[in-house]
Amino acid sequence: MTEIDVAVAPEMPSKQRGVKTLGSKLTPFQAFSLLVGFGTAFLILYPFSRVLVRLFWVDGSLNIEPFRNVVQLPNLGQLMFNTFTLVIAGGGIALVVGFVLAWLNERTDARMGGLTDILPLLPFVMPVIAASAGWVIIGAPRAGYFNYYIREVLDLVGIHLKQGPFDIFTWYGLIFVYALYLIPYPYLLISAGLRNLDPSLEEQARVCGAGLWKTLRRVTLPNVWPSIAGSALIVATIGFAMISVPILIGTGADIQVISTRIVRLLNFTYPPKTAEAVGLSVVVLIVLVAIWRLQARLIRGGRFATIGGRAARGRRIELGKWRWVARSLTFGYVFLALIAPLYGLLITSLNGFWSPKTRWGQLTLEHFRTVLWFDQKTRDSLFNSVYLGLIGATIGMIIAATISSYVQRSTGKVSVFIDGVAKLPAAVSGLIIAVGFILAFAGPPFKLHGTMLILLLAFIATHMPSGSIAADGAASQVGHSLMEAAYVSGASESRTFWRINIPLMLPGLVAGWSLLFVRYAGDFQASAILSGTSNQTAGKKIIEIYEMGSYAYLAALAMGLTLVTGTIIGVVFALTRRRSSISSVV
Amino acid sequence: MADVVVEVRNLQKTFKRADGTLVKAIDDVSLSVRSGECIVLLGPSGCGKTTLLRSIAGLEKPEDGEILINSETMFSGDQRIEIPPQNRALSMIFQSYALWPHMTAFDNVAFPLRSRKTSKEEVAERVNQTLEMVGVPELAGQHPSDMSGGQQQRVALARALVAGDDLILLDEPLSNVDAKVRDQLRRELVEMQRELNFSAIYVTHDQIEAMELADRIAVMELGKIVQLGPPRDIYEKPSTRYVANFIGTVNELPGTVSSMNPDGSAAVKTQLGIVNVPSEEEFPEGSGVVLAFRPERCSISPQQVDGSLNWKGSVNTSSFFGSHTEHHIKISEDISFIVWQADPKQLTHDEEVWVTVDHTNLRVLPFEGHEGIDENH
Repeated sequence: MTEIDVAVAPEMPSKQRGVKTLGSKLTPFQAFSLLVGFGTAFLILYPFSRVLVRLFWVDGSLNIEPFRNVVQLPNLGQLMFNTFTLVIAGGGIALVVGFVLAWLNERTDARMGGLTDILPLLPFVMPVIAASAGWVIIGAPRAGYFNYYIREVLDLVGIHLKQGPFDIFTWYGLIFVYALYLIPYPYLLISAGLRNLDPSLEEQARVCGAGLWKTLRRVTLPNVWPSIAGSALIVATIGFAMISVPILIGTGADIQVISTRIVRLLNFTYPPKTAEAVGLSVVVLIVLVAIWRLQARLIRGGRFATIGGRAARGRRIELGKWRWVARSLTFGYVFLALIAPLYGLLITSLNGFWSPKTRWGQLTLEHFRTVLWFDQKTRDSLFNSVYLGLIGATIGMIIAATISSYVQRSTGKVSVFIDGVAKLPAAVSGLIIAVGFILAFAGPPFKLHGTMLILLLAFIATHMPSGSIAADGAASQVGHSLMEAAYVSGASESRTFWRINIPLMLPGLVAGWSLLFVRYAGDFQASAILSGTSNQTAGKKIIEIYEMGSYAYLAALAMGLTLVTGTIIGVVFALTRRRSSISSVV
Repeated sequence: MADVVVEVRNLQKTFKRADGTLVKAIDDVSLSVRSGECIVLLGPSGCGKTTLLRSIAGLEKPEDGEILINSETMFSGDQRIEIPPQNRALSMIFQSYALWPHMTAFDNVAFPLRSRKTSKEEVAERVNQTLEMVGVPELAGQHPSDMSGGQQQRVALARALVAGDDLILLDEPLSNVDAKVRDQLRRELVEMQRELNFSAIYVTHDQIEAMELADRIAVMELGKIVQLGPPRDIYEKPSTRYVANFIGTVNELPGTVSSMNPDGSAAVKTQLGIVNVPSEEEFPEGSGVVLAFRPERCSISPQQVDGSLNWKGSVNTSSFFGSHTEHHIKISEDISFIVWQADPKQLTHDEEVWVTVDHTNLRVLPFEGHEGIDENH
């Protein structure tokens, strides 16, 4: 037993030890973190500042001409009205449905084990651009599958319709699809908020004689208010920037919004009206900053009960016979957001043309073959998107994890700055950043116009907040003492990062990676502006095919994209599941 | 004198509160730890004991002063030297154990060796040996989430011992295990420390733990070491009311010094008359003091005892604790004393008794400004 005593630990002479003088020298790992942090800050701030400068600084002098042009844009009032109506109505519905789903699954016996956590998030796997295409196919008044099936049923009871009864190319259709793909965000945030809220607060209210409804209104809602306010901010941010839905469905309904107008000003006008596009972007920015301030004030002004660590599990509210009604809400959501559009895409691509009268005996894989193999441009666009998704999500998450870990262990103005900048794009539409990238990197000295690199960089900058928030959550679960134990065990900062932080953060990082991957692969924000013939993305190609009207190819490409993202995420989760189950126990 | 392992000189560390006020967490502390010695830093939460320990480990950065380990400067405010924790050749056991949940017990214990680039065979040999030594060889392949608190504690101990560092820092390592396991682990820790002869700095707020483990106890208050010495000295010769109250229970009789007698004793005027007490310290006339004595150093008798101090009082409460019986005796309106008797006999409420205490069991302590310490600690 005394061998331990005799065997002296391998010791280095003091000269070779990393002698650090106070405050003057950085460890290699700190230097690496700072390099990543400042690199990211540059990538976000430089294009953004170019946008601001471009707006007021024209031909070497201060100029408010672009602003005037924006104000004089035809139909500006209509444009604003459309945009706000869409975001408020769609976002509002998403908040309500997100809250209801979250409450049912967190507080009642409608919960179905782990399945409940996954189900409402499944639509995340399907890029919104593909889902919108799916909804066009099933929801169009004449050829839409659902309308056709409903008409067939109505025929049996003697009601004969030529079209409808529903029409996706309407205000309600647009708002419906909009809401459908915003729901997962409030669901995620509000269920996290409910999970952190001690259920005994609600039980106390029940004991005090408050009914279910009163408890919900007087205790639950006020206390998850920060999550709801946060959801509203995220929903507004994503809502204002969303192009996929309005360009596919809004165009058919002849409803233009700011985001589609920006794309048209830049892409379908010659010469591109960059100044007007920038001006419109700034309008969006001003609105988002206002919402952000409002949200910050709401949260600061209130007192909210939260608890750290694991909440005590309260007894779930028993719904009795309503239980299956509640459950069918969750299933219904998954059906509408994922299964229905997938069905439309699948049948159309196999059928060869968009017709509700499916020739079941003549389904063919020919269009898949064309899109995924014979047509080089389409094949390339899909390859580009998946490639950008894989590389970009990996780089993005490594950057996010590095920044989160750095911010977690150092308190100083520098870390506050880097953290703030990493979250900044959340308040700025991806379109503005893409415009900034054109101004900043397309021309000399960078000359990145039409390259994959400019797309990659823009994706990383645009979606940094999502990655960063996921990484923050993961980092905050790694206790300080776990890192300190590694230091006193003789591990350097980088060894600690790779051997302790990263493995423990893995489940959170995988979730963040998946989110980024789908966003990158299905992107139609940055690529609407930055993607051209030499760096075509699948999202951009889907719009092109849509405008040419070849629905079988559109369906095949959207289906192919969803299959690839779904498969990759499935594989990633299967591979990491065993390891993450170990660390998620603690 | 034995070799000095840790030398702390005039260490300073200030924290800024959220409201902007500055708190001296470590206020000009000097301390040396000898080879093979166990020093216990004892005090209530917020006294700076953990900050001092973490500064020695390199996890906190002091503003000023010096820390030397094995005569090598680890920190120096003047020379602007700060050696990072990974290069300080010491081990630490954390309050939360800080076992890495994604690693098995074996990998946890192997980590310090692998960080120091030890060969594969040696790692395996020493990890198994150490796990054996702390009594949990069967846990090698288990993850921390599958272990009990006591088992986790043993693995954490193995991780601290495995590299063979001659200095181990312990930050309230036993506060998370239940009482029975705690007693056993404490005894084993004492044995292991004697056997392996490492130096230890041990932080706790538990005076029993301190008494059992320490070669010397450093009692801390508001960032300062107020008394440093062997447990018995601390208990029997506390230098302040704070120390007397923190270590064990104490009866206090306030008074003022009326004169110093030629034989070195002090004549103290109290509510219960003038008392002559032997004193090592000179007190100026009129200074406020308290006369302190331990509950087991006084007794209860039906009549006065010659040659002792005798105070008449009435029984307030009387409780049987198994090893002793505790009586609260009310002497006057605002003075009552606690007396511990080995005799299990309980007294009836309002019974008239005498509390007697020998002069030599009294200690004169400066009154200071404040009342002992908070009962909550």
